[in-house]
Amino acid sequence: MYLLAIDWIFILEKFLLVGFIVSLSMVVAMYATYGERKVAAWLQDRIGPNRAGPFGLLQPLADGGKLFFKEEIIPLISSKFLFILGPILAMVTALLTSAVIPWGRPLHIAGRDVPLQVADINIGILYIFGVVSIGVYGIMIGGWASNNKFSLLAAIRGASQMVSYELPMGLSLLAVLMLVGDLKMSSIVANQVGEGFFNWHIWYQPLGFLIFFICALAECNRTPFDLPEAENELNFGYHQEYSSMKLGFYLFAEYINMFISGVVMATLYFGGYDIPFVNEANWDINQNLLALIGFAVLLAKAFLFVFVFMWIRWTIPRFRYDQLMKLGWARLIPLALFNMVITAAIVLWLKK
Amino acid sequence: MNALIISAILGVIMMFSGILLKQKSGVRGIAIGGLVLVLLSNVLEMNGTHFFNVNLHGMMEFDHFSLLFVSVIIGAMLFYFILSARDMEKVGGYYAEYFALLFFILCGIVLVTSFKSLLILFLGIEIISIPLYILTGSDKRNLKSNEASLKYLLTGSFSTGLMLMGIALIYGATGTFDVAKMKLGLSEQPELLAIAGMLLLLFSMSFKVSAAPFHFWTPDVYDGAPTVFTAFMATIVKAAVFIGFIRLFGDTFGGMAPKWQFWVAVLAAATLFIGNITAVFQQSVKRMLAYSSIAQAGFMLLALFAMNQDAREGILLYSVAYSLATIGIFAVLGRMNDYTFEGFNGLARRQPLVAAVLTICLLSLAGIPLTAGFLAKFYMLKAAMAAGTQFWLVIFAVLMAAVSVYYYFRVIQAMYFKEGEANVTVSAGFKTALVVLAALIIVLGVAPELILYWLYF
Amino acid sequence: MNITQILFWLLSVTALFGAMMVVTSRNPVYSVLWLILTFFSISGHYILLNAQFLAIVNIIVYAGAIMVLFLFVIMLMNLNKNAEPTRGRWIKFAGAISGGCLLLVLVAALRSTEVSSKSVQVGVGEIGLIKNLGRELFTNYVVPFEISSILFLSAMIGAVVIGKKD
Repeated sequence: MYLLAIDWIFILEKFLLVGFIVSLSMVVAMYATYGERKVAAWLQDRIGPNRAGPFGLLQPLADGGKLFFKEEIIPLISSKFLFILGPILAMVTALLTSAVIPWGRPLHIAGRDVPLQVADINIGILYIFGVVSIGVYGIMIGGWASNNKFSLLAAIRGASQMVSYELPMGLSLLAVLMLVGDLKMSSIVANQVGEGFFNWHIWYQPLGFLIFFICALAECNRTPFDLPEAENELNFGYHQEYSSMKLGFYLFAEYINMFISGVVMATLYFGGYDIPFVNEANWDINQNLLALIGFAVLLAKAFLFVFVFMWIRWTIPRFRYDQLMKLGWARLIPLALFNMVITAAIVLWLKK
Repeated sequence: MNALIISAILGVIMMFSGILLKQKSGVRGIAIGGLVLVLLSNVLEMNGTHFFNVNLHGMMEFDHFSLLFVSVIIGAMLFYFILSARDMEKVGGYYAEYFALLFFILCGIVLVTSFKSLLILFLGIEIISIPLYILTGSDKRNLKSNEASLKYLLTGSFSTGLMLMGIALIYGATGTFDVAKMKLGLSEQPELLAIAGMLLLLFSMSFKVSAAPFHFWTPDVYDGAPTVFTAFMATIVKAAVFIGFIRLFGDTFGGMAPKWQFWVAVLAAATLFIGNITAVFQQSVKRMLAYSSIAQAGFMLLALFAMNQDAREGILLYSVAYSLATIGIFAVLGRMNDYTFEGFNGLARRQPLVAAVLTICLLSLAGIPLTAGFLAKFYMLKAAMAAGTQFWLVIFAVLMAAVSVYYYFRVIQAMYFKEGEANVTVSAGFKTALVVLAALIIVLGVAPELILYWLYF
Repeated sequence: MNITQILFWLLSVTALFGAMMVVTSRNPVYSVLWLILTFFSISGHYILLNAQFLAIVNIIVYAGAIMVLFLFVIMLMNLNKNAEPTRGRWIKFAGAISGGCLLLVLVAALRSTEVSSKSVQVGVGEIGLIKNLGRELFTNYVVPFEISSILFLSAMIGAVVIGKKD
């Protein structure tokens, strides 16, 4: 099936995979809202949502339905195009990241190897970086197009925060890349797969992981770095003027970001789809089943991170803005540089 | 290579000296001592002592001419440091950082004078330009300084953009950045892509040396910048970029000289005309010197036009003569309260020595015999004559040199023949340095072999 | 026409259109957004040349950092009104003439060049991959690479000198 020199089955395969991952992210994001409320309730000794369906499980659907049917308001004196573009960008960039993540071992279907990764590109981790850096525009454009001073201030805060925290994030990543010697996501995971879980990068890069984790919190605008949404200072943050599903998109994008950053952290530091306590090479089991178990393990690791994110949200108060900037520039960057230099020295020493 | 690496390290040392040393005189001492060190290392390299063994991959070549020129530049910079370093304290609170930036500029100068790859030329030009943008705006409370800095930045980056575009086109035409491998102008067919690239490089380099009609930034920037840094920009940097200009067009585009020679002649004539005529109408000596620097650039362009042995000797002598004289004038100007011509009224009455040195500098700039400036101009004209194609240019240049006498003599006239209250406070050391400077100008005016000898050493 | 060519034309048209809009947009915020679009289409070109690293670095550095700072300044200064000063007719005239001359020269230069003999390797070249790029950078081009650190250092010092309060 070659038309226009394109392998159409390949395209179909990728479309299915993309569709699956996108819908998975959506569903996870939906239930992350539910999870957040339940976790909050648990930490605050309450019950949480319990009316819609058993254990309140239908609550996200109800919330989504409500958002869909709300009246859509677009401020009169604002750029309509940009106002709509803002949430779209936020959503698109949130979803784009998932493209390079290896979700599991390849499946064998009808004689074809179907990799559970949309694109294993040469620059894998840099791609994630690029998409994250583009993520700023969703906030900035939305905040500016709202034609509201609070929104604008929040947008500028958010953007400066994200730009600042990209640096230590990149520096802490460099240390991982030195261990692996490759930027491909698949080889980063392959470097960690093995017996037990002592191959995971977390054992070699505890400081790097800590920095990465803090930066991930900041990039997702989660507490204690949720300054763009500091309601006591900025009313409602950059999405103040938004209503209906556009607001929903912003909120959704945040949860998707959370999920994806959990996946990225699991992939980079916690072995990705590597099943702990098991040596996959010796495990006599159907390849497809193994792939699915690996996928489930990756999801479990990601959910763990999502839980930690929520836990932090309901435990730690928000930073002040100058504290945030100081932490980013004056603490994390030197720390990440230190981590990088030490790693480089040890890698060189061991190779000698 | 010695000078490049040592001055880069010195830049870093200066950066830290601001934190470690509380006294400004200590910072100044390190800077001057460091510069002497750079000068020594460079002279040693001329004699074949290389401190660093770096595989340059043919990207730079430290031949005798470039090393000699760098020595001359460092010597001029030494004079500048001794005469004007104290004035930098008045500009702002970042004394050590200014020195660091000046040392980085020196790195850029070394690169520009010895490049063999267009990549290095670009890096050198940028390393020179970016600290200059900052030094221009270093007087932060002065709106004029800020404006000058912004203007310089915007126009400067535009011209850098042109330069990159030109380099890209030449790369497209030849497939290499390496000057030695380009072999432009050898084929029969017109290499239009390379010519377009050459034109863009011509424009951008003309901008950097403020040749007309790319000179518009010069008066505003030179006028707005703190006087100490104007002195540096107008002399050392300008001479260095000129060497880069000449190397670029001699080495890279030497093969296609007939294509650009006429246009360089036109550029030179326009620069001479605009610089000299506009300088006549200035009321402020600082602004007059800005235009005079444009006019002097016109003369230096003659070397680019001629591109023969005379021109090589001439440009070396010219850079020395012009730099020394202008550094001397700016050093005194930086200590004056009033930058207008009236501000110089009666200076000779109170500071006869300073006025005398100033007169020698001005005479040298005007090209009066027995000063270095005369011989420099003479060599330039000789080179242009030897090139032989554009006789009118020589006559025009002589005519314009005559015009320049008018505005240089206005300062002398103000100092000696007018009543006024002009005064400067100068130390004994400053006076000594000035006298040495003046002596050097006269010695070079009588015996230019002292420098030119080294060219063939 | 294969898929690469279709993509090439698509990206070229986007890049040119975006660049035109950068210049003609009245509102500076729109100008910046168009510029970002232009950067993206240029990154697309890099990917067609299999220079993945350049492509993504172009996005991270230019679209992701520098343009954000541009937007910052424009939004903070509230330049969203049509604050452009009207220029004199002569300036416009001179600008049009000189720009036109440059265009003429470039078009003439590019028309005469033989493209066929020097056509780039689309999609097959390995040189743009990060491994080869790194090797080139640290062997043949190590001198300019190291020298550029002087440039960055001086720019950094300059930023401190200019930016810090006295």
